[in-house]
Amino acid sequence: MSIPVTSYLLVALILFCIGLYGALTKRNAVIVLLSIELMLNAVNINLVAFAKYGMFPNISGQIFSLFTITVAAAEAAVGLAILISLYRNRNTVQVDEMDLMKR
Amino acid sequence: MDMIANAWLIPLFPLIAFVLLVAFGRQWKERAAYVGILATAASFVFALLVFFERFVEGATDYINTDFHWLTFAGEKITMGFEVNQLNAMMLVVVTLVSMLVHIYSRGYMRGDERFPVFYQYLALFTFSMLGVVLSPNILQLYIFWELVGVCSFLLVGFYFYKPEARAAAKKAFIVTRIGDVGLFIALALIFWWVGSFDYSEIFNKIAAGAIEEWKLTLLGILIFVGAVGKSGQFPLHTWLPDAMEGPTPVSALIHAATMVAAGVYLVARMYDLYLASPVATEVVAYIGGFTAIFAASIGLTQRDIKRVLAYSTVSQLGYMMLALGAASAAGYVAGTFHLMTHAFFKALLFLAAGSVIHAVHTQDIFEMGGLWKKMRITGPVFLVGCLAIAGIPPFAGFWSKEEILVATLDSGHIDLFVVALIAASFTAFYMFRLFFLTFGGQSRGGSQAHESPGVMTLPMIVLAVLAVIAGFINTPWKPVLGEWLTEDMTAFHGGTHGAGWVTIVAIAVSVAGIALAWMMYGRGKMPAEGTGGVLYRVSFRKYYMDEIYDTVFVKPLRAIGKGLHIFDVWVIDGLVRLIAAFTRGIGGVGARMQNGQIQTYGAIAFIGLVLLIVGLTIAGGYVGQWRTIFL
Amino acid sequence: MSSVSKWGNLAQYDWSVMSPEFIILGVATLLSLLDLFMNKKADRRILAWIGFLGIIVAGYFVVRNTGQNVVSILNDMYRVDGFANAFKLLFLSGVAFVFLISLTYIDESKNIRYSGEYYYLILTALLGAMLMASSSDLITLFVGLELLSISSYILVGTRKQHIHSNESAFKYVISGGIASAITLYGMSFIYGLTGSTNLYVIAERLSSVFYDGFDFLVYFSFFLMFVGFAFKISVVPYHMWAPDVYQGAPTPIAAFLSVVSKAAGFAIVLRVFLISFGSLVSFDMETGQQGSVLVNTLSVYIAIVAAASMIIGNTLAMRQVNIKRMMAYSGIAQAGYLLVPFATLTVLMFEQTMFYLVAYLFANMGAFAIIMLVNRDQKTEDLKSFAGLYHRAPWMAIAMTFFLLSLAGLPITAGFFGKFYIFMSAIVHSSYWLAGIMLATSVVSYYYYFGVIRQMYMRPGKTEAPLKVPASIGLVVLIALVGTVAAGIMPDPVMQYIHHKFPLQQMFQPGGQ
Repeated sequence: MSIPVTSYLLVALILFCIGLYGALTKRNAVIVLLSIELMLNAVNINLVAFAKYGMFPNISGQIFSLFTITVAAAEAAVGLAILISLYRNRNTVQVDEMDLMKR
Repeated sequence: MDMIANAWLIPLFPLIAFVLLVAFGRQWKERAAYVGILATAASFVFALLVFFERFVEGATDYINTDFHWLTFAGEKITMGFEVNQLNAMMLVVVTLVSMLVHIYSRGYMRGDERFPVFYQYLALFTFSMLGVVLSPNILQLYIFWELVGVCSFLLVGFYFYKPEARAAAKKAFIVTRIGDVGLFIALALIFWWVGSFDYSEIFNKIAAGAIEEWKLTLLGILIFVGAVGKSGQFPLHTWLPDAMEGPTPVSALIHAATMVAAGVYLVARMYDLYLASPVATEVVAYIGGFTAIFAASIGLTQRDIKRVLAYSTVSQLGYMMLALGAASAAGYVAGTFHLMTHAFFKALLFLAAGSVIHAVHTQDIFEMGGLWKKMRITGPVFLVGCLAIAGIPPFAGFWSKEEILVATLDSGHIDLFVVALIAASFTAFYMFRLFFLTFGGQSRGGSQAHESPGVMTLPMIVLAVLAVIAGFINTPWKPVLGEWLTEDMTAFHGGTHGAGWVTIVAIAVSVAGIALAWMMYGRGKMPAEGTGGVLYRVSFRKYYMDEIYDTVFVKPLRAIGKGLHIFDVWVIDGLVRLIAAFTRGIGGVGARMQNGQIQTYGAIAFIGLVLLIVGLTIAGGYVGQWRTIFL
Repeated sequence: MSSVSKWGNLAQYDWSVMSPEFIILGVATLLSLLDLFMNKKADRRILAWIGFLGIIVAGYFVVRNTGQNVVSILNDMYRVDGFANAFKLLFLSGVAFVFLISLTYIDESKNIRYSGEYYYLILTALLGAMLMASSSDLITLFVGLELLSISSYILVGTRKQHIHSNESAFKYVISGGIASAITLYGMSFIYGLTGSTNLYVIAERLSSVFYDGFDFLVYFSFFLMFVGFAFKISVVPYHMWAPDVYQGAPTPIAAFLSVVSKAAGFAIVLRVFLISFGSLVSFDMETGQQGSVLVNTLSVYIAIVAAASMIIGNTLAMRQVNIKRMMAYSGIAQAGYLLVPFATLTVLMFEQTMFYLVAYLFANMGAFAIIMLVNRDQKTEDLKSFAGLYHRAPWMAIAMTFFLLSLAGLPITAGFFGKFYIFMSAIVHSSYWLAGIMLATSVVSYYYYFGVIRQMYMRPGKTEAPLKVPASIGLVVLIALVGTVAAGIMPDPVMQYIHHKFPLQQMFQPGGQ
């Protein structure tokens, strides 16, 4: 039984939207960072699916996704580090409280 | 020495002065004045030499465009300078007035902490103004044009500790910029359609009929929009009266004699273009005519000595535009001729007004009076200025104003001719109202007025002499200036001259205006409009006369003046305010979204993305395509 | 492969073309090691000078590469062409300015505790930017983009004790993360459609895919990538982070973000879209006419984005009282102007963009140097801190005036010709509405730029004491001033230099093996 590529894409789209929704609505900064990871993973699903079932299947998609995973890890690490130093000064991880600078 | 080929030296002197003053101004303190005076004097001498050489040799224009400046869309654009009849005259006017103002300011600005700064700005202004005059192409002109605007901004806001001065500086800059936008668009279109910025190229193309008339009309109107901003024409005139917050010598130099005349100069410079486009010239004529009478009628009711003069400047600039709008050799000559005489007598009036302000420390003419006896030099020269602007022979203003009337009549605009006549009588009236209130009667201020020092009176005397004799350079029976100015313009052939009755009517309306002013304000009378209600009764015997005059002439006039002033303040300024409010409104909406919440920012980015995609979906007809992507 | 070596193909490449990148990488590594082994109390300024030297040397190698033929290695993952060299020079000079400004800014007891990492992180960010300019492969472009971004996140938050700095760093991370995800999502579709990450292969295959009924998906991925990149160049709709981040970031880093990071964003936008979408042609069924997709369909949307950025940037800048926020909004507006050549795509598109970027580099770097100096002296970032500057440091005030005039696009400054060229491109392209919005918004911009000038000349300051100008700041201001005025009076040599030394056509020559 073969699953058409669109199914993978749909899963990725749903994941991307869940991630975007989380990143834009969740108040806890850690969850926001995780949601961004979700979005990046949606991309990875896309890339890997295309590497197998795309118009021109080849290995670059998987390579690309390896790079994406690495970069996402680095980004998450930096994000968490910044969050920790923010937490030390402000004693909060609520995203909606981070509005000292506006307008 | 071939002076014309070295004309580039003329703006160089003030530039050097500027650099020196920036570098050493602080140490030199008030000695800074001498650097400025010396530099402008040198420029003046050079300008005079250039002028005489031009007068003797005449004929073809000298254009130096050796310097390859930039390449744009494959076209070489050069930088350089050009000397022709028109700008040779302008050079003399600008350098002369600038020099006199430099001298005058030595006395007027004495004791000001920022004395050297004032001279820095003046020098920079003189340099940029000369740059405007000498530019051989419109791009270079635009650059100096902007620089002049920056200097004006700095000088209007010189007394920055006064909030009004700050506001006025900003207004002056922004409002003139609105006009400059028009000029900038014209610039871009000229390059696109002509392929060059050079005046000569533009005129050649026009002469060859290579440009359609609608394009010429559009260009003419856009360039005129720039001139409207700079020369304070309706509806962008509002900045000019406010600009009077600047020091009085600045008002004399920039806001009377030179910078505000740049708009008129520009229209005159592009005259070949206007001659080829009747619609654009019509616009120039009607805007000019309307401005002339509009500003004059506002001038009727002003109380501030400098504001009266400011509205008078607006009105006179309208006159010049009106003349240029006649689209004939006579109109061209009349406009530029009036530009010259006006520079002299208006600078004179401002400097004299400055001398008065210096003496009595107020600008309200109803708090002045009786200065004739105390200021034995300022009084007479002010009178000379008033007579000149009112158009009484043989003073300079008479000759140029008469030329304008003749040119307007010749062009067939009877309506504008009538308007010009009425404006002339208004001018005579408000100038002499000003004169009688300031110098006539008894002192109402109580302050101990005294004559200004020689360093201030000397420039005024020089200008007064010019205000008397400058007109004789172009009399109807010997139009020296006119013939010389049109010498290098092939588009023209001989000047025309109207009937003698125009002269008589012109004198008559001026005299009528003066007479009315005399009856109302002469001999120390104070009509009820001012503070001096008691003084008003002194002239008890003339009571009924005054009543009649009051109802027949004064009240309607005052009503019109006030009405227009209200129009000015509410409608024109209101429009400006509306635009400002609109801009601020957009900013307000944006600011509300900028709530500091990072998730809002992300959401807006997402909404933006969705909008872009939805836009494409609808515009590209992809409404049904969404299915194909994922299913 | 005939000449077999242990390293295979790798040994055959001319690695010397990568020397600018190697130098920056090497210096960054060296600095991190030195920082590790140096005495904790030792003055870290020596690191800045080493870094500065590295930048100069890298710049030398870039200059040596200019005017050469295209060199491409690693299957176009790295290539040296006119486009790359032009942007690299821009980045290197921008970072050199940032280093000079940082020398005065950093005070370990007050703001940045560990200044060693500050310097080498700028270098890694620079390395990322250089890769973005010099690569034609989605993977390396993305890695370069992220190297720049992640380094900048840390740099923004480098004042660890400062709550504004923390907050802006976190906001930057979140915004950047979402933007990366959106970009990548777009890239993944492009990869799926063409089966390649190489831009030239993508360009080849995109047309056939386009006609196979996937045209909407092509547009869709274009917009995804564009909005993702919009974050980097801070244009509408992804512009809102900029004011908050600039305000909280250390001033030299705000300068870095506003110039180098933004220019890098433009590099990737132009590189990706011009190569992969540039040759895409659409076919109109009704009229039977062919036309470039970029010119016919997409340019309208880019123009709308540009116009919206000009409007939003300028109107909001008017309301600001914090000078760094004002500069951020001004930067949004400037990015809008910078998008105009891309939207109009005239022959001189690249020259116009580069000239504007150069003008912007000088004006913004000079302005930020003076902003840093004044803010440090007055201990506030309020616009009012500029009051009376003319009486305290006349030359600084005059220089600042020129920088602001240049940003406003007034004559005798480089900014005037920058705007002028761009304006002409809009006129020639017959985008009159865009030209109109450009002019109208630039009139609005005079309002706030002149607000600063008014402060400097026309307001009495709290103090009349002369402002001491450190040599490094003086140097930055001097170079920026000379550059601004020289390019403002004589723009042609700059344009000619760009035109001849950095030919854009090179960008469209695939390197192959």
